[in-house]
Amino acid sequence: MSDKIGIYVCECGPNIASKVDIPKIMEEISKLEDFKDKELIIKNHKLLCSVAGKKFLEDEINENKLTHLICAACSPRDHDTTFINVCKKTQLNPYMYRIVNIREHCAWIYHDKDVATEKAIRYIHAGMDRVMYQNPLIEKQLDSIPDVLIIGAGIAGIETALTLASDKRKVFLVEKTNIIGGNSLELKKLLPKQGISLNGLKQKISDVKENENIKVYTNTEVESIVGFLGNFEVVLKNNDKTIELLTGAIVLANGFDLFDPKEIPEYNYSEKDNVFTSLEIEKMYTKDGKIILKSGKIPESVALVHCVGRKEVGYCSKICCNYMLKIANYLKEQSSNTKVIDLYKHMCLPNKNDQMFYDSTVEKEVDFIKVTDVSLKGTKVQYIGIDEAKKDLDVDMVILAPAMIPPKDTKNLAELLKIDTDELGFYKESHMKINPISANLDGIFFVGAGRAPIGISEAMIQAQAASGKILTQLIPGQKIIPEVMVSEILEAYCTGCKTCLDVCGFGAIYFDEDKGISIVNEAICRGCGNCVGSCPSGSIRTKHFTNPQLYQEIKEALR
Amino acid sequence: MNTFENVLIIGSGVAGMEASLMLSKAGKKVYLVEKLSLIGGKTIKNEETFPNMDCSTCLVAPIQQEILQDQKIDVMTVSTVQKVSGKAGNFKVTINKKARYVNIAACLGCGMCYPVCPVEQSNEWEENLINKKAIYVPCSGSLPNVPVIDADKCLRLNGSEECNLCVEACMFGAIDFTEKNETIEIEVGGIIVATGFDMLDVSEIENLGYKKYPGVYTAMEFERLFAANGPTEGKLTLRETEKIPESIAIIHCVGRKEVGYCSSICCMYSSKHAQFLKHKLPEAKIYNLYSDICVSDKTYQKFQKNVAKHSSKFIYRDDKSELEITQNDNKLKVSYQNNKGIQDAVTVDMVILANATVPSNDIELLTDVLQIEKDKFGFIDTQSFRIGSVVTSKPGIFVAGCAEGAKDLQSSVLQAEAAVSQILSMK
Ligand SMILES: Cc1cc2nc3c(=O)[nH]c(=O)nc-3n(C[C@H](O)[C@H](O)[C@H](O)COP(=O)(O)OP(=O)(O)OC[C@H]3O[C@@H](n4cnc5c(N)ncnc54)[C@H](O)[C@@H]3O)c2cc1C
Ligand SMILES: Cc1cc2nc3c(=O)[nH]c(=O)nc-3n(C[C@H](O)[C@H](O)[C@H](O)COP(=O)(O)OP(=O)(O)OC[C@H]3O[C@@H](n4cnc5c(N)ncnc54)[C@H](O)[C@@H]3O)c2cc1C
Ligand code: SF4
Ligand code: SF4
Ligand code: SF4
Ligand code: SF4
Ligand code: SF4
Repeated sequence: MSDKIGIYVCECGPNIASKVDIPKIMEEISKLEDFKDKELIIKNHKLLCSVAGKKFLEDEINENKLTHLICAACSPRDHDTTFINVCKKTQLNPYMYRIVNIREHCAWIYHDKDVATEKAIRYIHAGMDRVMYQNPLIEKQLDSIPDVLIIGAGIAGIETALTLASDKRKVFLVEKTNIIGGNSLELKKLLPKQGISLNGLKQKISDVKENENIKVYTNTEVESIVGFLGNFEVVLKNNDKTIELLTGAIVLANGFDLFDPKEIPEYNYSEKDNVFTSLEIEKMYTKDGKIILKSGKIPESVALVHCVGRKEVGYCSKICCNYMLKIANYLKEQSSNTKVIDLYKHMCLPNKNDQMFYDSTVEKEVDFIKVTDVSLKGTKVQYIGIDEAKKDLDVDMVILAPAMIPPKDTKNLAELLKIDTDELGFYKESHMKINPISANLDGIFFVGAGRAPIGISEAMIQAQAASGKILTQLIPGQKIIPEVMVSEILEAYCTGCKTCLDVCGFGAIYFDEDKGISIVNEAICRGCGNCVGSCPSGSIRTKHFTNPQLYQEIKEALR
Repeated sequence: MNTFENVLIIGSGVAGMEASLMLSKAGKKVYLVEKLSLIGGKTIKNEETFPNMDCSTCLVAPIQQEILQDQKIDVMTVSTVQKVSGKAGNFKVTINKKARYVNIAACLGCGMCYPVCPVEQSNEWEENLINKKAIYVPCSGSLPNVPVIDADKCLRLNGSEECNLCVEACMFGAIDFTEKNETIEIEVGGIIVATGFDMLDVSEIENLGYKKYPGVYTAMEFERLFAANGPTEGKLTLRETEKIPESIAIIHCVGRKEVGYCSSICCMYSSKHAQFLKHKLPEAKIYNLYSDICVSDKTYQKFQKNVAKHSSKFIYRDDKSELEITQNDNKLKVSYQNNKGIQDAVTVDMVILANATVPSNDIELLTDVLQIEKDKFGFIDTQSFRIGSVVTSKPGIFVAGCAEGAKDLQSSVLQAEAAVSQILSMK
């Protein structure tokens, strides 16, 4: 089949037509020396992106049996997809088309019509040179597994499991301890108006156990995971047993740890004193029904110390001001005579109902003192108030609100999955603002305290959000269409230096030990091109962005 | 017909857009109803977003483009929901689609029509810092990039003159005075309310001098004053005096007491504003007057500390006593009680009030139409003791973003994604 190149110049109403000389462009293009053996069809149209324009283009492609197509029009941001969609309706492979921007790059930026016209001709010529080096690319379709692996059975993992499990989708819920429920189960009460009552949580735990589409693995941890969205191979370890699974997506829900107050010398923290962490108090109140001193007595005076480790970790843990209010309430409901002094730095009450809770706590005669610094010797407290005055305070009991930090497992799991963590050690978002619970690799999500410190209702929203992502990306029975413009490594040139393996942020390259070369997994590759530039032997190319294609285009544009 | 396949989304901010795209990917037909002539919500009013100072347009424009090109999303601008009946899985919805008087398919957005229009009116999208014509786009870069004609103000449509100027200016024949308001009936299985927020009217708070002293701005006014596509093209000249401020006080928590909650985003955007100012006016004196600093996402504290180190002096003020702003010789005096309980003051050229984020002003109309409950602040209430916090009091109707309460972008997006999961697992 001989080449037949269609070149369609859009007038964009007067936008292009009045600023460049379209007849001249068409005339010059038809006379190009290097295309004189080729069959060119050169036409103009008033508005190519209009309904009539698209129909015109479609008919032109079909009737002329075009092998290559150039649309000289506007910015690809405006109408690249428009013309790709036209190609898709015809026999022309969309990768045999190129848009050339003669509006923003030519018509709109010059006062001199001749200059704009000259540049437009050159741009179109460059596009033609490039398109001749383009190759048809075919979309692949991969089968996908709709099932989901969830690591960690706290409230976040549980909510994810319940939202996702259905007759068409199995969920595997892996928990390293022997019970499911996570840290929330340790809490005596939950903050008012926050998504779920303790009974609600217990209900959810039993719902999980009864759901036949959820398989719970307690005392189990992940040993290895390889694969990509739609196809992950998972190996779990339960004591000596290994369990192999296939899943389509992974949800990380491995929760949080608390900052160790021992790391702060000024706190002189020791388990021997009547100094407790918030979580110890929750556990004590849940288990014993009371909050007591080591001596067994009810404390007469308690100091609550906020922001423990906040400076060290570098962020505010969001939920601790709130739960300290809750603990102040515990103490007052236990004995209204207990003097409660709350030493806070900033009262962080970011949810709409928090302020009401604070106001009602103030009414219970809890003393709130804004401080800039606190140090401890056992239960002897010294603080510097906002007024810069140093004061001493002797109490029976001190309760600390340690920062919520990423557990060690977060680092291990991230390494295992080759996903990124941020500078604080939490999982890193694909985009902090607009894709906040997706990892940098497709098919991997994180929910709950893994992204950042968080309360239960937000953990549940994240669980539902990850479920929403999975429900839209992994539809049972629907195939996955991976990126087409991927990279490939030319076997003959690859020296096996493994440079590219480190460069790829998506873990798309693996090393074939037998052949001694690197290979791109086309199902994972996003075609970012990072590896191309890194390869010392020049053996990698990104389809649709090959060196010859770019060279041809640049050569003409810079002539 | 299986109406489960159709979803109605009300409001096209980040929350509504994220939900629309996800549902369309899942194969649903989406009706996206937006009351304004453009989509994108409040985010497009901001030049940059905290804490990474991403360019908002770069963040949102690709999403807007994708929505407008998506065949499965029916975008209805200048439209509102008028009536809803039926129940989850089978809602009948009546949408009032106002005439735009410009044919979206024919208009190229060339902008030739508005300069010729003789009408001047205040541009509320630009916080009334500038005027617009009767035919207008709210700001440059609006998407869809198609003007709308204000039927009340257009001389021809309101019957006061035989004006034809915009029609003559348009080379594409896109202006169409025969367009009529339409009533559209659709059937949907589920509804997501993503109508966002408005800002507290601070002229009601005494002693702040807003609307009395020209140097006193609200946070959103400042966002537009700073924006390169805003009324001053980003030049920080004060209204009336046209002066470039040499000293600025940013007041946190304005209206917090009145509304009864912390808006959770204003400490961050006030820090952002201080950074903006420092970049543009390196010599200016900048003060942030705060009582508590609420910087609750993991990267926020670092941002705020950085601003406190390099851009602004953070001054504690005791919120138990009222703050007062007075003017003398074009200078604004901000009086407050300091950390020692003593009355203190800063004198500045400009004041920016971080005013509370409140429910969108027509929320009541919508909650009446949808028959869903509001909380005591007027935000849409959620049935928190059932499944999670995007579930409203009525089955089949979900809420996402600031319609539920003040929050930042990522939290708005998360709720949208959560609402999608609820819609997709409805049966
Ligand atoms: C003192 C205190 C009081 C609080 N009070 C409240 C409150 O009143 N209201 C509120 O909303 N929030 C409160 N919180 C916060 C609340 O505890 C968290 O929001 C919640 O527990 C987060 O849930 P999660 O599922 O993300 O994590 P977690 O509850 O930590 O659950 C994580 C689960 O994953 C498991 N796991 C960890 N690593 C692995 C692994 N490698 N493999 C398998 N499983 C693993 C863990 O064993 C655990 O079961 C409080 C926190 C504290 C410290
Ligand atoms: C001054 C300021 C600066 C900010 N800066 C940042 C920042 O830097 N970073 C950050 O993360 N967050 C920032 N925020 C917060 C951010 O703006 C919000 O998180 C975000 O806009 C919420 O998106 P949304 O979709 O919920 O609502 P919105 O953006 O408000 O969108 C709602 C949409 O619904 C439409 N609508 C309303 N009512 C109806 C109705 N009845 N019918 C049809 N349509 C309707 C509206 O016209 C609007 O288009 C800032 C907020 C303010 C006030
Ligand atoms: S939530 Fe409160 S106690 Fe916790 S780190 Fe933030 S300011 Fe400190
Ligand atoms: S193009 Fe990018 S994603 Fe693909 S293999 Fe190379 S580095 Fe990885
Ligand atoms: S017809 Fe109306 S919109 Fe058009 S120019 Fe005249 S007044 Fe303006
Ligand atoms: S209506 Fe006409 S003149 Fe106005 S922007 Fe659209 S195409 Fe241009
Ligand atoms: S976020 Fe900051 S400025 Fe806004 S109400 Fe809360 S504490 Fe005040």
